Amino acid sequence: MIRVEGLRKSYRMGEVEVRALDGVTLEVREGEFIGVTGPSGSGKSTLLHLIGLLDEPSGGSISIQGIDALALLDDERTRFRLTRIGYIFQDYALVPDLTALENVVLPALELGVSERQGISRATDLLGRVGLAERVDHLPAELSGGEQQRIAIARALVNSPALLLADEPTANLDSQASTMVLELFASINRELGQTVLMVSHEEIHRQYFGREIRLRDGRVATDGIASG
Amino acid sequence: MFERERVAFYLASRSLRRGSRTSLLLNVAILALVFTNMILLPSIISGSVELFNQQSIDFQTSDIQVRPLEGDQYIGRTAALLETVNRVPGVRRGSARYGIGATILARNRSVSVPVTAIDPRNEVEVTKIHEHMQDGEFLSGGERGEVLIGQFVAGNEDTRKDLFASLGGVRVGERIEIAFANGVTRPYVVKGVYETRSYITDYSALITWDELESLLGTEVDQSTEVLVKADRGADVDEVKTALFEAGVQEEVKTWREAITTTVEESIKTFDVIISISTFVSLVIAVVVIFIVITIKAMNQRRQIAILKAIGIHPSTIIRSYLIQVFAICTLGTLLGLVMVGLLGAWFTANPLVFPDGVVVPQFESTALVENTVWLFAASMAAGFVPAWRITRENIISAMRAG
Repeated sequence: MIRVEGLRKSYRMGEVEVRALDGVTLEVREGEFIGVTGPSGSGKSTLLHLIGLLDEPSGGSISIQGIDALALLDDERTRFRLTRIGYIFQDYALVPDLTALENVVLPALELGVSERQGISRATDLLGRVGLAERVDHLPAELSGGEQQRIAIARALVNSPALLLADEPTANLDSQASTMVLELFASINRELGQTVLMVSHEEIHRQYFGREIRLRDGRVATDGIASG
Repeated sequence: MFERERVAFYLASRSLRRGSRTSLLLNVAILALVFTNMILLPSIISGSVELFNQQSIDFQTSDIQVRPLEGDQYIGRTAALLETVNRVPGVRRGSARYGIGATILARNRSVSVPVTAIDPRNEVEVTKIHEHMQDGEFLSGGERGEVLIGQFVAGNEDTRKDLFASLGGVRVGERIEIAFANGVTRPYVVKGVYETRSYITDYSALITWDELESLLGTEVDQSTEVLVKADRGADVDEVKTALFEAGVQEEVKTWREAITTTVEESIKTFDVIISISTFVSLVIAVVVIFIVITIKAMNQRRQIAILKAIGIHPSTIIRSYLIQVFAICTLGTLLGLVMVGLLGAWFTANPLVFPDGVVVPQFESTALVENTVWLFAASMAAGFVPAWRITRENIISAMRAG
C-alpha cells in the first residue's frame, strides 16, 4: 500500500547540514497497525510528514496505493490528503471556532458531501469515539483526551486509506492515552484501517502489529512488535 | 460546484460568530466611519454646488438667459422680443435687463458696481431678489429717483466687517449719488437693501426701466439680457428649443449653460478635493483591513497550516477570510448608511451656514453606490493579500512557527 524507497530529508541549521532522514526504505501493507519508534531526533515525525505529503523530501520516492505521491502537483497533493490520508497531530489541532461536530464535518464538506450526510457521518464517528454527548462543545470546553478523540473522528470522516498519527498521546495522561490507543487498535481491528503511528513510549508497543524503529534517520529494525 | 465557497462560508460564519465580538464591532465601526467620511465631504460640496446653482437661478440667470449675439453689445427690439418670448409655450414670463457701469457715492465713500435697470413687474416673475429684502421695499413700476442696493454695497458702519469696499453702512431712506458710465450723475434715495447671499447679486444696484429712460433721455428698446422663467415642471432645454423655433435669434442659454464656465473651475477644484478625501479614506480602509486580516491570519498561521494538512484547499481558506472581510464591510457600510442618514436628518434641521448661504448636504445615490463599490473592492484586496501570503507558507514551517 505504501512503498518508501531511499527517502532522504536534510535541512540546514546555519552552516551545518542536518540529515533528518538518510535513505529510509520501507513498505506498509493494507490493514497494518505500525508503530514508528525511536529516540528523539531519529526522524520519526519527519518520516510521517513526508508520507503525509506535508513536506517535501530531499530525495527518494513515496508511492501510496500505486500513486507516485511526489509527482503530484500542489492541488493534487491537497486533494490526496483530503481523500486518502487522515492525519492526527500531537496537540489535536482542532479549529477552535468549530464545535466537535463541525470539526469532524469540515473535511467531508470540502470533499463535496452534503451537509446532512456529513453531519450524519460525523455524528456516527463521534458516537464511535465515545463523544455522542459532546458534539456541540467547542474544543476549549473539552479535555485533551476528548479533543484527541475528535481529531481521530475528523481523520476518519472521509474514510482514508491511511491514518497517520504523530505521537497522539504525548499530551495526555495515562488513562486518556490508553483510551486513545484502544481506539486506534479497535479502528484497525474492526475497520481494517491502516495505521502508522509515531510513538516513543515503550508501553505502546503492545498495540502495534509491527514496529519500525528509526535511529539517526535510518531504519534500525523492522519487525513484529514485541509488546 | 461552489463547494469551496460553501466550506469557506462554513468557516467564516463560525469564525465571525464565535470570534472576538469587541474586535468585530471595532472593525465594523472603523469601516462605518470611513464610509461616512467618504460620503460626507462630497455631500457637503454637492450641497454647496446646489446652493450656487439655486442662487444663480433665483438671482442671476433665471431658468433661461437670452444675451446679445457675440460682437453685439445690446439686444435690439427688446419689446418685440419680450412679446415673442412670452408667447412661447412653457414660458411663464420674460424680463429685460439693462446693465450699466456706475460709481455710487455716499458718506464720502465710493464703490463701482453694475447698476441694472429692470421692469419690477416682470422682474418679480423671473427672479427672487424681491423676496430677500434686508430692509425697505422692492421697486415698483414707474418709480424714479429711487434705487435698491445689495447688502455688500451698503456695507457696515464698521467697514472692517465688510468683505468688499462699501458705502460704510448706508441705510434705507439715505441720499446717495450715482455717477453713470455715460457721464450723468444723479441723486437717489435708497428704497431698499437686498440680501441674497449671492456675492455677485449683493454687490450690485437696481433701478427701474423708467429711471433708465430718464437717465438716457430717450425711450429704451434694447437690453443687455432677457431673463426667462419657465413654467413649473417645464423642461428648460425644451423651452430653449421652443424659443429658437419662435424666432429668437439671440444667444440663448439655459441656466446650467450660462453658469458652466463660472462653475466649471470650482467644480474641478471640488472634484480634486473629493478625490483626495476619497483616496485618504480608502487608504485608511485598506490599512485597517490589511492589519486586521494580517493579525488574524498571523495568529491563525498554525490553524491555516492544519486546515491545509487535513486537505482543505488554500483557496477555500482565502475565500473564508474574504467572506469575513465582506461581512465586516457589509456591516460597516450598513452602519455607515445609518450614520449618514442621521447626519442628513441633523443637517436638514441644522443646515451648515456659510457666508454665501445655507448648505444642506446632498447625499447622492451615485456617490453612495460608487463609494460602496470602492470600499468593498479596496477592502477585499487588502484582505486577500495577507490571507494569500500566509496560505502559501510551508505547512510544517507554519505549524512550528504558529
